[in-house]
Amino acid sequence: MEFKVKVYRFNPEFDDKPYYKDYVLEDFPGMTVLNALISIKSEIDGTLSFRRSCRSAICGSCAMKINGISKLACKTQVGPEIEKFGIIKIDPLSNMPIIRDLVVEQEGFFDKIKEIQPYLMGKSNVGEHADDFHALKEGEKITQPVFFKSEFRNLTGNNDTPNCILCECCYSECGGVTGNKDYLGPAALAKLYRYSEDPRDNDKNGTRLVNGSKPNRMWDCVHCQACEEFCPKGISPVKSIVKLHEKAIKNSINFSNGAKHIISIAKSIGETGGLDEIKVALDTGGITGLISDLPMAFGAGLKGKIPPIRLKLIKDMEDIRLAYKILDLEEK
Amino acid sequence: MITYAYYPGCVAQESGKELDNTTKFIAKKLDINLIPMPEASCCGGGVIDGFDENLKLFINGRTLALAEKKGLDIMTVCNTCTLTLSEVNEELINNAESLEKTNAYLAQIGLKYSGKVKVKHLLYAIRDDVGFDNLKQKAVRSLRGVRIAPFYGCHILRPSSIVKFDDVENPRGLEELIKVLEGEPVSYVRRTKCCGFQTILVNEAASTSLAGNAIFEAQEKEADVMVTPCPLCHLSLDTYQTVAAKNINKKLSLPIIHLPQLIGVALGGDYAEMGFSRHNISLRSVMAKIRQNEI
Repeated sequence: MEFKVKVYRFNPEFDDKPYYKDYVLEDFPGMTVLNALISIKSEIDGTLSFRRSCRSAICGSCAMKINGISKLACKTQVGPEIEKFGIIKIDPLSNMPIIRDLVVEQEGFFDKIKEIQPYLMGKSNVGEHADDFHALKEGEKITQPVFFKSEFRNLTGNNDTPNCILCECCYSECGGVTGNKDYLGPAALAKLYRYSEDPRDNDKNGTRLVNGSKPNRMWDCVHCQACEEFCPKGISPVKSIVKLHEKAIKNSINFSNGAKHIISIAKSIGETGGLDEIKVALDTGGITGLISDLPMAFGAGLKGKIPPIRLKLIKDMEDIRLAYKILDLEEK
Repeated sequence: MITYAYYPGCVAQESGKELDNTTKFIAKKLDINLIPMPEASCCGGGVIDGFDENLKLFINGRTLALAEKKGLDIMTVCNTCTLTLSEVNEELINNAESLEKTNAYLAQIGLKYSGKVKVKHLLYAIRDDVGFDNLKQKAVRSLRGVRIAPFYGCHILRPSSIVKFDDVENPRGLEELIKVLEGEPVSYVRRTKCCGFQTILVNEAASTSLAGNAIFEAQEKEADVMVTPCPLCHLSLDTYQTVAAKNINKKLSLPIIHLPQLIGVALGGDYAEMGFSRHNISLRSVMAKIRQNEI
């Protein structure tokens, strides 16, 4: 069967602006989008640039947008894409500058990974892992693996974060990064969670959580779920980010507006069973936030869109109070 | 007649009352019996697990158990409520430990959950239970000539392991509905992207730029109106549209309509009763376009 591949092309040396170029190929059973690109490059148009290496969905090099979604070209078969979209339309990843054709600038992404300090800090002196982590001396054999997955799973209760191959699919799909280029993004924050949970990590003062609570970090997640949905390795960075939120709040690291926002919602439900829109806005942004939003709030008010000043309690409110009591959340 | 336990969510009962009123109006027209749930609490706004994971289980497990006691499935009109209730439902069905601890709490308030409830959003309740053909037969006003940009919002589509209503890569539910009502669906890239609502109080500029750029793209594609199945998206897209325009430095003026309002128009609803005057961006241009079909 013949099919059409529409590829984003841009070479800043020669092109004034990007354009799409169409190629027609013949498919074969199990043909991947990477197979198609390699065919184009070797048989039709040697000028097409794209990254690729392992062809086995483990190196993360060939991430690109296939019919609008960030995917690994080597893991995506042509057949189902043609069946759904009738075409293979390929674009470079989003949220990153384009160097040429499908090749994006990755430096910003990796700078953000570095920013969370993706390594164990110091030597742990607590618990059973006290002596696990040390540099090997010459001739010394590994007796205790520094890291292996099944152990990490037990350590963190999260069995997928270590499978990240840094392919940038989540980063490309992330609504938070689209809105704010300085936001760390899902891959880096999932790693932050992984290190903040590791008992071998000697972060006694919760600095990882404090740093992670600063602007453009964990509280800037928009909860769009795209990182979980489109991760080719089945990882859910957003779940790790939510765990970071819970861990920060339980450790009273509440200085960010994001933490104040969630605490206020929880408080409102604990008091009324409902979500008090006015109180949550006031608790999160404070007076400054309220003043800056006044024109908008006034406009909405004129249209009658005013939430009640005092929420009516839900029926059987004592049920909700009991949940807070059982979970020991009454004072938080 | 189809009967659901009706879970409108907080916004539809507070600042977005027009959503609740119109849902009740179209339910009557479509022979849907909505049983109120005055005991139900807020779902936690999609962020409550960042405060305490078990609290999310308990309060939403309670809502599911209340519906189960009535022997009914739950119908929502908010994407985030849909996702949160669905997440907890999946967790309670698939994780015996979570079910046990939730039921230990529920036992103390005279409830029990066994995993029988389904959580449905209005859009897909109409598609799957009422039927688009049935809706078409009951429509008395045509949306012919009205270019409508569908804005899905995140939590009705993702994660597709939990909310399984549509094709997450290429959803069709809203487009099919628009066509059934004889409107013209506008195709644009950001129809499945995030509106930014969850961080609107944390980083307003970043958050509203997401909604703003989606509106701008739909405007460029000559949309007359944008429809959304989520009241949180509606807040970002309509209430904050002026703020968004300023933040992205673009001229924005696109009316944003709630999903049941769009259906309500086709079912002959009165514009005032459906709360058309409660929007930040006036719906007058859309009403004028629809009236052209009535002449």
